[in-house]
Parts: sequence; C-alpha cells; structure tokens
Amino acid sequence: MVLQTALLIGLVIFSVLAILLKDLLKSAIALAAASLLLGIIFFRMNAPYAGVFEISVVAGLITVLFILTIALTGAGHDVRESKLVNWVFPLVFVAFIVIDALVMKSLLGKVPALPSGTEAGTFGDVLWKGRTLDLVGQIAVILAGVFAVLALFRKRDKHD
Amino acid sequence: MIILFVVLPLIVAGLLPLIGKVSRRVLPDLLANGTLLFLLVYAAVAGRALIAGGPVLQQSAWLGEAVNLRLALDGFSLLMLVAVSLVGLAAGLFSIDYMEHYGAKANYYALYLVMVAGMNGLVLATDLFSVYVFLEVAAVASYALVAYGLGPDELEAAFKYLMLSVVASAFLLAAIAVVFGMTGSLEFAAVAAALKELNAGAVLGIASACFLLGFGLKAALVPFHAWLPDAHPSAPAPISAVLSGLLIKVSGVYAMTRIFLNVFGLTPALSTVLMVLGAVSMVVAAFLALGQKDMKRMLAYSSISQVGLIVLGIGIGTPLGIAGGLFHLFNHALAKGLLFLNSGSVQQATGTRDLAAMGGLAKRMPVTAATNLIGSLSIAGVPPLNGFWSKLIIIVALVQAGHPVFAVVAVLASVLTLWYYLLIQRQAFFGKLNEKWAAVKEAPFWMTVATVLLALLCVGIGILFASTVTTWIQPAADVLADGVHAVTGSWGF
Repeated sequence: MVLQTALLIGLVIFSVLAILLKDLLKSAIALAAASLLLGIIFFRMNAPYAGVFEISVVAGLITVLFILTIALTGAGHDVRESKLVNWVFPLVFVAFIVIDALVMKSLLGKVPALPSGTEAGTFGDVLWKGRTLDLVGQIAVILAGVFAVLALFRKRDKHD
Repeated sequence: MIILFVVLPLIVAGLLPLIGKVSRRVLPDLLANGTLLFLLVYAAVAGRALIAGGPVLQQSAWLGEAVNLRLALDGFSLLMLVAVSLVGLAAGLFSIDYMEHYGAKANYYALYLVMVAGMNGLVLATDLFSVYVFLEVAAVASYALVAYGLGPDELEAAFKYLMLSVVASAFLLAAIAVVFGMTGSLEFAAVAAALKELNAGAVLGIASACFLLGFGLKAALVPFHAWLPDAHPSAPAPISAVLSGLLIKVSGVYAMTRIFLNVFGLTPALSTVLMVLGAVSMVVAAFLALGQKDMKRMLAYSSISQVGLIVLGIGIGTPLGIAGGLFHLFNHALAKGLLFLNSGSVQQATGTRDLAAMGGLAKRMPVTAATNLIGSLSIAGVPPLNGFWSKLIIIVALVQAGHPVFAVVAVLASVLTLWYYLLIQRQAFFGKLNEKWAAVKEAPFWMTVATVLLALLCVGIGILFASTVTTWIQPAADVLADGVHAVTGSWGF
C-alpha cells in the first residue's frame, strides 16, 4: 500500500512537472519518468501487457522521438507564454482532483467485478477476437499517420 | 457486407500511393472517385433493403477463426452513410481539377479515403471505444488534410485544430473510462442495459459532462468553437466542404446524439443543456459571421451557427424535433458542402478570399454564382429549397413542445443567416464587375459538375421533401426517438 501510494504520488508529481517545466528536454524526461512509474503501477495491478506497452512505447520510443526532435529543432528561441497558464493550470488541477475524489468515492461501491485472468481470455484472445474492429481502426490510424508524414514532408512544387 | 464501408476505402487508400507512382493523375482520380461512387450507390440502393428487417449486425468469422466484427446499420447510421458518401463524392469530383496545383494527388486521395473510412466506421460502431478509435482515424487524416497546402497559415490552423482535438479526445476517454468503470462494458446495448439497473445519477452526470465537452469541441459548439474558424478556411476547398459538411456532424453531432439518446437516454436536464448550447451557438456564431470579410471564414462561422440549430432541434427530444434536426443535418451537409466548393472555385479563379476585393463575378462565373445562390438561400431557409423545410420542422417542433422563446430565437437567427449570405452574394457575385477580374473564367469541368450536382440536390430535395423525409429521415428519427430501447431491444447480440 505504501509503495503503491508512493508510486501514484510520483506519477502525479512527474506529470505536473512535464507540463510546468519550461525546458522541453527536461519536460520530455519528466514525462518519461511519469510513464515509467505508470508502467510499474500497471504491472502491480495485474496488467502486464499494458505495463510493457507503457514502458517500451511511451517511456522508451516516444521519449526518443521527442528528444530527437528537440535536438533537431535547436534551442535558443524563448517562446513567450501567456501568464494565464500559471493561474489556469493549478485551478483546473485542483478541480480535477476534487471531481476525481467525488466520482471515485461514489463509484467504488458500485463497480461490478470485471472479469480478469483466465476468465476474460488471454491478451491475444481479447485483442484479436474481442476487439477486431478496433484493429481495423488501428490499421487506419497507422495509414493516416504514414500518409500524413508523406503529405507534410513532400516537396512543395507549384503551389505557393 | 457492411464492413465494406470501412474496409474498401482503406484498401484503396493503401494502394493509391503505389498507383500514384505509375499514374500521377488519371488513375488516382478514377480509383478514388470510383470507390466513393460505389459506396454511395451501395448505401443508397442496398442500404434500405439491408435495414428493412431491423438493424443489421455483423459478427463474422475470418479464415475459420472467430473474429468479433460488430457493426450495426440502422436508420440513423444509414442516413449518415448516405450523407458521407454523397458529399464525399461531390468533394472528390471537385478535387479532380482543384487539387491539380497542390501536387501529390494520389497521397491526397489516400488521406481523403482514410478520413471517409474513419467517418463510416464511427457511424457503424457498436461500442464506445470503437467510436473513439474511428473518431481518431478521421481526425488524424483531417489534420494532415487541413495542412495540405503547407503554408504557414495552414500549418498553424492544423496545429490549433490538433491541440483542441486532443483536449476533446482526453475528455472522451475520461468519459468512456467512467462509463466502463460503472457498467463493466463498452457495448452500447450492454451499457444502456446496465445503466438502467444502476442508480448512478452523479457519476453519470460527470460522464455526460465529459462527453458533452468532448463532442462539443468536435462539433464546434459555442463556447468550444475556437478552432473551427481557423481550421476550415485554411484547408483546401474540398476538404473544407467535407470538414464543415460532414466531419463536425459525424464526430460531433452523430456520436453525441447516439450516446446521449440511445445509450444514456435523454433526460430533461440533458435536453435543456443541449437546447441552450444549440441556441447560444446558433445566435453567437451568426453575429460573428456577419462581421467576417473572408468568404470561407464567414462560411465557417455559419457552420457553427447551423450545427447549433441541429443540436437545438435534436435536443427538443420529441420525434418531430429529432426529425427536423436530422433533416437539417442532411440539408446543411449538402448546402455547406456546395458553398465551400464554390468558395474554392472563386479562390482558384481570383486568388483571393477577401469579399471586398471581389465583385460582379456572376458575369464571369455564371454557374458558380447560380449554384452559390441556391446554397445560400437553402441554408438561409428560403422556400422551396430543402433548408426551408428542415428549419420549418424544427420551429414547428419547438412551438409544439412548448418552447416558443427558442422558436423565436431560431427565426431571428434565420434572418441573420439570410442577411450574411446575401452579403456574400452581393459582394462577391452581384454588382459591377471589378476590372481586375475581367479575364476570370468559369470553374473547370469537374468542379462545375460537383457544384451543380449538389445544387440540383438542394432544389430536388426541396421539391420532393415529403418523400425524402419518409424514406431517409423518418427511419433515422425513429431510432433516436426510440431512445435506449433502440439499442437494448433490437441490438442484442
């Protein structure tokens, strides 16, 4: 319980840091740390596949992409940010915590036990046989991403 | 084979970049528009026969393995499929000539077809998470299409659109997680059945609020509309037509009404919230449209205003109100598609979107001017065009349901609508020909075909409105008016 609470608090702290840090590189690393903690939480909550994806894709691959992009774009240009963010973010954050606490309090007693383990079938069963339509959607998202990259990085001929 | 609506455009999209290496123009034009035409004919001809015996569901095996492809086609989804195919085809035909100077046409069509597949998938989805997945499919393709011109404005608009869409997605995911936590299911039918058992008013309220924020952003209802007046004008004209005509309705209005009316059940409180949001959007956006100098920006604000009217109509919750809202959704898709395509013709001919710089273009572009007049009058609600009948139904439904104030607001907003559309017509097309445009020519063949097709539909549906309502609108409205029972009753797997 203590470890779980520590992990959750760490997750929140690193997530908030990822938003508030002005340095993009530090922000990306804070995000990676947050998702690493989330991955561990997933493992501990009996969702190993979610944990593996969270750590390998979000903490690993995406962080590499972020850092690569930051390295390629170069630093030095201070972006002037609206002061409003400094006020709005903590407000929204507190409101979210309050709503979350209220919702979870009334939810906890009512949540029906979700099937887990062998009862729900293996990960592969659920993915291939349970959510087949989502796989089609997933393929479509990947296609959209590939075509988007092709379109946005094409040579600008004729059109000005 | 209703899975074809999703899979066929995806397969063709996958092939197009390869085909583009062989033939840069003709084959991509032919293949993309052929696919869209096939989907339109399939939806319009076979669709009604498919749903005649109740909603069609599909759960098939593939290569001997059980797969879970659950799709549902009922009156409401069929109406949306027809709208998507129809406006999609018109914009596709328009692209043949219009997208010529953008380059990489095969790639453009590939993205376009992925967006169509996303919209079709969303309309056929039977569970909350699939709705989210296909919403993202259409959205990811549309970000790239908005930025397709690669100019600074286009990129900025696409980025703004992306950022606000991500906020919408976050709210939608939060809502889906709450619903899953409450009911242990994502399936529409199971969620609807479980919610009836559970007495979870407060939690359901939170989920509804998150859905409202998410879909409100997607549908660009005031006050969540900030992205639309940048994103829609910046896109190439056929994409503006599809975004304003279809995407905000499919990923905003369709998804919202399907979930609120068929899964959650429309409560009086929710009905009031929808009506107020709709009325505020309708009025605020109409005033904002009046002040615009940019033709496409004015059309974009008009979209927000008209989506407001659609949500107001559906929000009444009575069968007549829902029918009026859905009819207006269909009519607005056609007319706004037409107007955005026309703005593309004008922009291509003159190189400007500034209304003040135009003038007298009707003399050089008579067909564009005439079709634009039809589209404008249709949206403004002038008889006997299609928009008149849908507005009339909504206003009658408002009076009938005991909301005379909303009815008066709707009438006044219509007057404002007519005002700013006449401004476009007068500044761009009527009056003395600006000397700068002496050499301007009518839009090329396929662009004209697309706009004439939509204009004829606006007139035709206006004249044959009674049969259109009974054939296409009523079955869709029946599904929504049936409420939760529509999915728990006949959607059982």
